[in-house]
Order: sequence, then structure tokens, then C-alpha cells
Amino acid sequence: MVLLFERLGSFFDIVLGLATHPESLAILFGSVLLGIIFGAMPGLTSTLGVALLTALTYSMDTNLAMVCLLSIYVGGTYGGSYASILINIPGTAASAATALDGYPLACKGEGGRAIGLTTTASAIGTIISMLFVVSISPIISRFALQFTSFEFFLLAFFGILISGTLTSPDLVIKGWIAGFLGLFLACIGRDQLQFYPRFTYGFAELESGIEVVPVLIGAFGIPQIIGVLKDKVHIGKAKELQRILPEFGTVLKNIPAIVRSALIGVGIGSVPGIGEDIAGWVSYGTAKNTSKHPETFGKGELQGVIASETANNACVGGAMIPLLNLGIPGSPPAAMLLGALMLHGVTPGPMITFEHPTFILEVAAILLLASVAMWITGMVLAKQVVKVLKIPTQIFMPIIGMLCIIGSYSLGLNIFNLYLMLPVGIICYFLTEMGYPIAPLVIGVILGPMADENIRRALMVSQGSFMPVFTRPVSLILFLIIVWTIASQLPWYKRKIAQLKQSFFKKK
Amino acid sequence: MMDKDKLRKADIFSGSLIFLTGLFIVSQSLKMPMKDSWGGVQNVWFVSPAIFPLFVGAIIMLLGGMLIRTAVKEVGIKALKTLSSFILSRDFLQFLKLEKNLRFYAVVFILFSFVFLFIPRVDFFLAAIEFLLVFITMFYLNDRTMLVKLFLFYAAQVLIFILFLITGLNTFFSVYANYPGDWLVLSYILSFAVYVYQLTKDNPEFKKKYRISLIIAVISPLLVGMIFKYLLLVPMPFEGMLVELLDLVWYM
Repeated sequence: MVLLFERLGSFFDIVLGLATHPESLAILFGSVLLGIIFGAMPGLTSTLGVALLTALTYSMDTNLAMVCLLSIYVGGTYGGSYASILINIPGTAASAATALDGYPLACKGEGGRAIGLTTTASAIGTIISMLFVVSISPIISRFALQFTSFEFFLLAFFGILISGTLTSPDLVIKGWIAGFLGLFLACIGRDQLQFYPRFTYGFAELESGIEVVPVLIGAFGIPQIIGVLKDKVHIGKAKELQRILPEFGTVLKNIPAIVRSALIGVGIGSVPGIGEDIAGWVSYGTAKNTSKHPETFGKGELQGVIASETANNACVGGAMIPLLNLGIPGSPPAAMLLGALMLHGVTPGPMITFEHPTFILEVAAILLLASVAMWITGMVLAKQVVKVLKIPTQIFMPIIGMLCIIGSYSLGLNIFNLYLMLPVGIICYFLTEMGYPIAPLVIGVILGPMADENIRRALMVSQGSFMPVFTRPVSLILFLIIVWTIASQLPWYKRKIAQLKQSFFKKK
Repeated sequence: MMDKDKLRKADIFSGSLIFLTGLFIVSQSLKMPMKDSWGGVQNVWFVSPAIFPLFVGAIIMLLGGMLIRTAVKEVGIKALKTLSSFILSRDFLQFLKLEKNLRFYAVVFILFSFVFLFIPRVDFFLAAIEFLLVFITMFYLNDRTMLVKLFLFYAAQVLIFILFLITGLNTFFSVYANYPGDWLVLSYILSFAVYVYQLTKDNPEFKKKYRISLIIAVISPLLVGMIFKYLLLVPMPFEGMLVELLDLVWYM
């Protein structure tokens, strides 16, 4: 109990410290606003926002950089709802479900009301997810301290598999292939145990391995630029906004739906590599299935908008839980954040509570302040932000291209980063076109060194034996989950389950 | 993303490529020390640097094979034959000339020429102005004829620049003037601007769009570049005549 109060005390100290620091406040509000603009513009995503700001925050102090990056993440996730509600084009994939009910609401002249409610719901969702970051993190951290190399290898492997399974828009195999291609990219360079050059072919620039952040910028930015410009995205005229501030009664009436959606968001966010888009859809589906009037969904139902927007913002905090405690990103923007943290010399994982004792609390404090800043900005500037929807994509996409290039170069001042970023981006574009998800590839690049180093270290300790996988309880559980994840996608397993179900119901 | 039928046909190709990638990784990994001595240390198989890439390569091969199997099972070998006859027919040429494909070539060509040709050799600000001017006008005018004309004009500029480098003219002119590449790109910017003006002068809508493109193409690199160069203290990839001029003004 004393420990809890001590923790709460330091948390509020940090909040107060940030809230009274003019520079932090300016960066907080500026980044949230930038995030909202990024999210609102169709074609730009919060991941790209975090990627581009990583370059700009490189020279900043770690805390300020985190304020900047987390704020753009929170703002970007929320900002997607503007385009969804007002022009029926999701600003980001995370707000795709919002368009289903948001646009009909705007057509009825209730666009302002919908935005007001989603702003409030998003802020509450972020705050709830922040509570989970604070309360669950110490437990996971303590638990993760028991992990040995086998567990870390299996965890990385599980992260790639589950991300491939859940994010693949086509066949699950494609998600796994993307993940393993990411692992291959991570093999390039000198290996961490014996410093043997692998796949370097005499290129001195490849000796230290491929730089993660330029690869991430390429993987997320270039396919976006090509996709938007190739397919001529036509943006309709935005609907007018009326009163934005929501009625207290309506918010209060929707609190149970907000809390439920936030819990879904946190849960999905904490699964490695699964982003805000899936959280939004799952939450929307749940709201529809549990509603007394499911027929109103898709025709301008406020609960539909609230469900998807609360969940995608709650996903931000959820994604922080595995990122901070296990070093495994919970979503694509969290993968970018991991890259940024590494650039600042912070290595997330179980040791973070020892190496940087207040770091998790700082992240939670930033999330709290970012959600407040998002609410204020949303309420005050919504009518102004909507104007960015008038900017043609053909103008801002080339500028984004230039920012991707200068951003990739500035991290390490190396032109070779550009030679790497562009081909990776083009390959990722083709992969996306052919139904391969990009998130597992990125997670593979990030988790590759962890998986490689840990499997070899584990085998070194066990003298080449795989038996510890079966004798260590956590390893065994992870192994069984991995086997189940793979088996559940195999046709014979599906047939077997169907047969079992049939025979079970026949007996009944 | 493509529709399901096309996807499966494409999967046969992508699956084959992925299988070959896996094969390549495995073959390269087998060349790494497994039990030999490396750096004075006698290896055992489980600490070998080959172990992880071998595992990854083998799985990629397996998954690639599974993807080919699934695709062939769904669309059949017949579909593959139809696809190969389509590739060899005239329809394929028509497909390659579709507007969305032209737009794709243009984006990729502009990005590649900017990154591999101009950035390492030309003043960043000038290269970025040229990049944005070409990129924005080509797409913002939103007209197929304009796109083709501007693309060809830019392709000619790129070709001349490559010849300028290959023939050694760059070194030859550097005796007479600093940054000859920068002067050439400056002339590119001016000639491109004049060419677009000529093309758009009779169409008020195009004219307006061109004016906006020109303003943004000049202002954005200056703004972004100056933030990186003077506020974040990031030296530009190539600092030429414009950076020299800006340095002079900034540190005055």
C-alpha cells in the first residue's frame, strides 16, 4: 500500500513537473495539434507522424522527445476521426470503423456533436489505458525478470507470429512471410555474439546492421506516397461543423460503452504488433453485437462512433505495456517509438525499472497530459483543423516524401540510409499490393536481434539442448501458444475441430 | 490490394520469389562458420552465426512453398497459362500504359532520381526544389497528357545529368566555376518552370495550380532545410552554392 502511494506521489510529481514546464507544454500542445492534422489528412498516419518527428527530436532531451512523440501518437490516432466523420474517408486505418456511423451523423447535421463526443471518449480511453500502464507494468516487469533467453526467444517468435496472423489482410501465411522477411533483414550485419559479418558482401555500411528507423520510415512512408498518388484519391467537400462541446448527460449515459471500448482497446493494444485499426473494428463489432438496437448501426449511431474512437485511443496505452516491459512493440507506431527510444539510449524491457526507475511513470504522465491536451485542442481548434481537409493530397504527399528523405538521412547523417530506405519502401509497396501486411515485417526487423541473440545464448547455456523449453513453465506455455497459433491456421486442424464440434453436438 | 483471383495468380510469382529468397538465405548461411574456428574461437553448431539465418531461411522457403501450393490449388495451372499468355500479348502492353501505372512509374522515377542521383551530388536545397517542382506539378495538374509531357521532360533532364557525370563534364567545368552540377540543376528548375508555364498559360485552372505548385516547391525546402540545417544543426547531404549563400546570410 505504501509503495502504491509512493508510486502515485511520484506520478503526480511528474505530471506537475511537466504541466508547469513551459517548454514541455508548448511541445505537448504543438505535437498534439500536429498529430491531429496528420491523422485528419487522408493518407497520413500517426505512424508516419511519429517516424518523421523521430528525426526532428533526435537532438532533444529524452523526456522532451517522448513528450513530442507520444503526443503526436495520441493526436494522430484521434485525428483520423475528423476525415471519417466529415468526408467519409478514414484519415487513418484506425478510424475506418468510425466512418460507418460518423458520416451519416454528419449528414444529419450532427457532425459537431459526433466530433465532440469522440474527442471526449478518446480522451477518456487514453486516460483509462494510462491507468493500465501504471498498474500493470510493475507486475509484468517483475514477471519478465524471471525470463531467461529461451523465454525471450519464444516471446519474440510469438510476437512475429501473432502479428502476422492478425494483421494479414489476405492469407495468414503472408503475414508470417512478412515477419520472417523482417527477421532476415535483422540478420544483416555483424552478429552480436561473434561479430561475424552476415550478408554484408563487403559493404562497410552494412557491417553494423541495417538502421531500424530509416527502414521503418521507408516501410510506412513510401508505400503511402505511392498508393495515394497512384490511385488518385478524390476528397469530397467536408460537412459543416456546429456545436462541438458535448452535453454532460450524453457523455454520462455513454460511460459504460466508453469503459468497455477502452478495455477492448487496451487488450488489443497489448498484443504485439496489433494496431489501432483492429481495436477500432473489434470494439465497433462488440458495440453492435451487444446493442439493443443493432439495426441503427451504420445509420448514424453515436455508440458506434464512440466504440471505435475510444478503443483506438485506448490502444495507445495498451501498446505501451509490452513495449516498455518486454521491449516488444504493441502496434506499428509503438515500433517507431521503440526505434526512437533506442536512438536516445533507452532500451525498453524488464530492466527498464532498474535502469530508468521513473520512465514508465513519465510515459503514463505524458499520456495523461496528451489526452487532456487532445481534448482541449479538439474542442477549441476543431473548426480550424477541419480546414486542412481542403489541402489536396497531390501537394502534401511530395512534401512528405521530402521529409521522409531528409528525416532518414539526418538519423546518423548517412546517405546510405536513403539507399536503404527507398528500396525497402518500394518492396513494401509491392508487398502491400499483394496482400502482405507491413507490421509483422517491421516487428521482425525490431525483434530479430533479440530472437537471434537469445536463442544462441540459450543453447549455449543448455549446451545445445532444447529441453529447457519443455522443463521451464513459462517457456512451455509460450511454446504451446506458438504451436496452437500455427496449428489453428492449418486446414487439417480446422477440419478436425469442425468434426469434433459436430460429433459433440450430435451426442448432445 | 488486388482482387482475390488476381492475388492468387500473383501469389504464384511472389511465392516463387519468396522461396528463392529463402533458398538464397540458406545457401549463404551454409557458407558461415558452423564448427570451424572463427576469430580464434572454435565453434560449436549452437553458437554459430549461421544458426539463426538458417532457421529464418528454411522457414521462408517452407512458407513460400506453402503459398505456391495454396495459390496453385485455388486457381489451378490453367490460370497460370492464361496469365503467361496475357503477359506475352498486346493487352499486357496496354495494361502497362494504364494511367495508374504511368503515375506509379513517375513517382518511383522521381524518388529514385532524387535519392540516387541528385541528393549525393547537388546542393540539397536546389535538389529539393527541383524534386518538389516536378513532383507536385506532375500530379497536382491531374491530367494524363500533362503527366506524360512533364515526365518525358524530366526524364530528359535526368538523362542529361547522367551524361554530364559520365562524360566527365562535371570535373571539366569545375575548373571554371564552383559547383557545376548545382548550376545545371538551377537551369533545370528554370527550364522546367518555363516549360510548365508554356503548357498551362491558356488554361486558367492549370495556371492557378501551377502558381501554387511553384510557391510550395520553393518555400517548403527552404523552410524544412533551414530547420534541419540551422536549428537542428544537421549538415545537408551535399552543401553547394545555395547552402553557401544561406550560410553567409545566417552567420552574418
